Amino acid sequence: MTRSDSRYVGASVRSKEAPRHVTGRGRFVDDLVLPRMLHAFVLRSPYAHARIVSANAGRAAHATGVYGVITPDDVVRLTTPFKPGRYAAGLRVPVPEYATAVGKVRYVGEPVAMVAASSRPEAEDALELIDVEYEPLPAIVTTEAAAAPDATLIYDELGTNVAWQGHVSFGDVDAAFARADRVVSANLGIHRYSSTPLEPFACLVDPTPERLTLYCNCQNPEVVYEAITEALGIDGVRVAVPDVGGGFGQKIHLIRKYAVLTALMAVQTGRPVKWIEDRSEHMMAAGHSCDQEFDVEAAVRNDGEVLGLRIADTDDVGGSVSTLTIHFTNKLNNLFNTYRVQNLRLEGRSVLTNKCPVVPNRGIGKPGMCFIWERMMDAVAQELGLDPIAVRRRNLVTQDQFPYTTPNGNIIGSGDYQGLLDRALKNIGYEDIRAQQKTGNDRLIGIGVVIGLEPGGRNAARDMAIFPKSKQMPGAGGVEGATVKIEKNGSVVFTLGAPSCGQSHETTAAQIVADVLGIPPDRISASGGWDSSLSPWGVSCANSGNNFHLYDIGAVHGAAMRVREKVLTLAAHLLKVDRSALDLRDGIVGRVPSAAPNSSADGPATITFAELGKIAYANQALLPEGFEGGLEATYYHSHPHADPGMLPDETGRVRAQYTFGSAAHAALVEVDPGTGRVKVLRYVIVSDNGTMINPSVVDGQIYGSAAHGISVALGEGFVYGDDGQLLTLTLLDYGKSTTLETPRIEIEHHPVPDPYTTLGQKAAGEGAAIPSPAAIASAVENALSPFGARVRRLPLTPERVWNLMHVSR
Amino acid sequence: MTKVTLNVNGETRTASVPPEMTLLRLLREEFGLTGAKLGCDVGDCGACTVIVDGKTVNSCLMLAPQADGRDVLTVEGLATMERLHPIQKAFEEKGSLQCGFCGPGVIMSAKALLDENPDPSVLEIRDALAGNLCRCTGYSKMIEAIQDVARGDNRQPVGESA
Repeated sequence: MTRSDSRYVGASVRSKEAPRHVTGRGRFVDDLVLPRMLHAFVLRSPYAHARIVSANAGRAAHATGVYGVITPDDVVRLTTPFKPGRYAAGLRVPVPEYATAVGKVRYVGEPVAMVAASSRPEAEDALELIDVEYEPLPAIVTTEAAAAPDATLIYDELGTNVAWQGHVSFGDVDAAFARADRVVSANLGIHRYSSTPLEPFACLVDPTPERLTLYCNCQNPEVVYEAITEALGIDGVRVAVPDVGGGFGQKIHLIRKYAVLTALMAVQTGRPVKWIEDRSEHMMAAGHSCDQEFDVEAAVRNDGEVLGLRIADTDDVGGSVSTLTIHFTNKLNNLFNTYRVQNLRLEGRSVLTNKCPVVPNRGIGKPGMCFIWERMMDAVAQELGLDPIAVRRRNLVTQDQFPYTTPNGNIIGSGDYQGLLDRALKNIGYEDIRAQQKTGNDRLIGIGVVIGLEPGGRNAARDMAIFPKSKQMPGAGGVEGATVKIEKNGSVVFTLGAPSCGQSHETTAAQIVADVLGIPPDRISASGGWDSSLSPWGVSCANSGNNFHLYDIGAVHGAAMRVREKVLTLAAHLLKVDRSALDLRDGIVGRVPSAAPNSSADGPATITFAELGKIAYANQALLPEGFEGGLEATYYHSHPHADPGMLPDETGRVRAQYTFGSAAHAALVEVDPGTGRVKVLRYVIVSDNGTMINPSVVDGQIYGSAAHGISVALGEGFVYGDDGQLLTLTLLDYGKSTTLETPRIEIEHHPVPDPYTTLGQKAAGEGAAIPSPAAIASAVENALSPFGARVRRLPLTPERVWNLMHVSR
Repeated sequence: MTKVTLNVNGETRTASVPPEMTLLRLLREEFGLTGAKLGCDVGDCGACTVIVDGKTVNSCLMLAPQADGRDVLTVEGLATMERLHPIQKAFEEKGSLQCGFCGPGVIMSAKALLDENPDPSVLEIRDALAGNLCRCTGYSKMIEAIQDVARGDNRQPVGESA
């Protein structure tokens, strides 16, 4: 298939997933039931910080219906600790971490024990009969308190709560500041939030004699697969991922604790065990994004050119070392945003506190990096008395610079940043709004226009940029497979190498296969959910990192091309024509009308996939010599342009990700002067996602991620009390936006194909969650300009906005 | 144990359940109707929305014995073997759902709305869906699909389950 002969790629074809979901026939883990299945419940720490003096299961073990109890002692005796992975690249001291707390609890909700009973209520009741004695310790809830010299240590092994300090630096930052006309500085902050998928964590383990099967709604099956293999010391492991009720990063990491506990319980009881997390457990312990604080200085010239940036970043990583540097290393993806600035130093501190551990979250690290750049662009404009759009334009990477290599090694294949801004300004009516603002008006209406990247396709070596000398590289580049098969009856089935969490992977992959094989999508189906025994998976098997568009699309395209080759070989043999004279259309292989006949004229002119299938699988006598039977192929895709920069060099330069979509966001907001409440009047996005395989799917991803980022900016988030108790235990308290707060989002596509990907595609997933917090901040600041207020921190709750107007400037 | 008898999707169903069992667990665990989902168990997310005597209910907040003698409609009761309900059809065509977990609840809220108000404004649609949280979609295409149905783009004679 060439780029020009696409019939289905580029069309908003009917969803493959929708028929089961609109009828309630999706199959999620909690919908699965196995014979003799037990139900498990987890006992969690009521304290933010405490020593576990003792944990005694005696009374619970004898309670009605109870089949098993697992205490921390059992976990230490029966499992080995997790290995620090790429998310803890900065960890230099080995700190064993198990599936439950051991010795100490470090955050409210940390798992301490598990009980399994014949019903869920019996299991929940039995929790009260596990006797755990705690010796409370001081709860540390701010990074300032944690970093104080006399602070209680959260991990004794580390000798400090500042668990990691390091930096990356590119260009000559000191020289840039020496040359500057002026230095603009700001203290910025982003709060704790999460993705709160509608489906909480879920595990179901079936310990059959031949092997242990875990049904789990994990995004990155590798994490739970390796956790069970290593923790239990068994290699007879199968992980199956059915429909997943949303992921967004939330289901990557901490879910491994529950996979191991549920598996251990199943092994101990010899029965299938189901564990379903409840919502308050999810809010307490399933992972948050970290609170991030940035002290930023920009070296600028009077014309608005930014010469360099210095950033001191303090990440509150909560009560675990297992994701110590994950927010820091994810900033490498968009370290320079869309700007051609050459000098940047980012210093990081990962500080432990007695709060929930931190996990990836729709863009992790990248919303923070975009927030830094876009807040600083506005700050520079204000200090220099320039137009904020002009300052951005002054610094954007220009079209003649593509492919553009950022100072930290990312290669941006293509883009049109000026064009995105032009269209966003036009679509929102920027000039008119500015003119209206000047005429004077009592209403507090503000406009903010920002620009950001959507990095895609992870390099597995990325996180080691902060530790390039490590002997434990967790992988490099990317490897991901897919299988495509023409069945004996002529229909087509494909198996992807990674699970989906609702991003329409079945639909999109079917479009690719449809074009390559010349068969309509309605005769193509996905083989089912992800299965470690059947899915061809590599290090890029992850519903994260915006991996699908690069790796899975590349793999399914490659596998379909191999099957196409087989089809052509077999059909040419059977039709007695040259392969080059054949074409595939609507599941039929036939002679291209214009092709010169070079074969016997009396043979059949066409052959269907079904006829080919019957022969390929069943009739050796008709196969060409040396032809491998069947019409199936597996292909493992690696990005053909992954080098240079796959492995980090000694300065930390590395290709963090491989593709870079981009978008301009324009927000028009109104602030209620009486209450500080912000209403989004209009929200406009102009987006470059490269070649779009399914525009409707791309729209869906943009709508959802923008709504999330806007909600985060306007108040959604976690709040802790001074004692380390989480105060936002429900979705209502947490403040995720409903239909009433979520604005209508207006999208225009401005695709610039990527020169290096299979079809010119770029990522289309979490993208709009990256610039949207910055866009809202910019717009609210503009609305508050009569007060001279500066927006430096999120979330912009009514209380904070009211204070910006009336208290602090 | 308490005996409950209710009409579910047009059929009389009976079960003997503990008095504290919720309607959601009755539907999912006793009747195998897994369309309604457990998302929060405290009435915040709406993934468990069903229609009881014509009104939307968070089935995680209603006890099974409270449903005794009532008519309960779940997402499984909307489509026939021959065709989808117009709301389901519109959600399919628009690609309104992504992960699908919130979908059955949203569709039941939309059904209750359109039964009462066949021509709702966007604000009325937003209001009717305010108890159904979704993280994937930003709600945009759900609202558009419901508008399509209201405009008649997907309107067909609705079967007995309506």
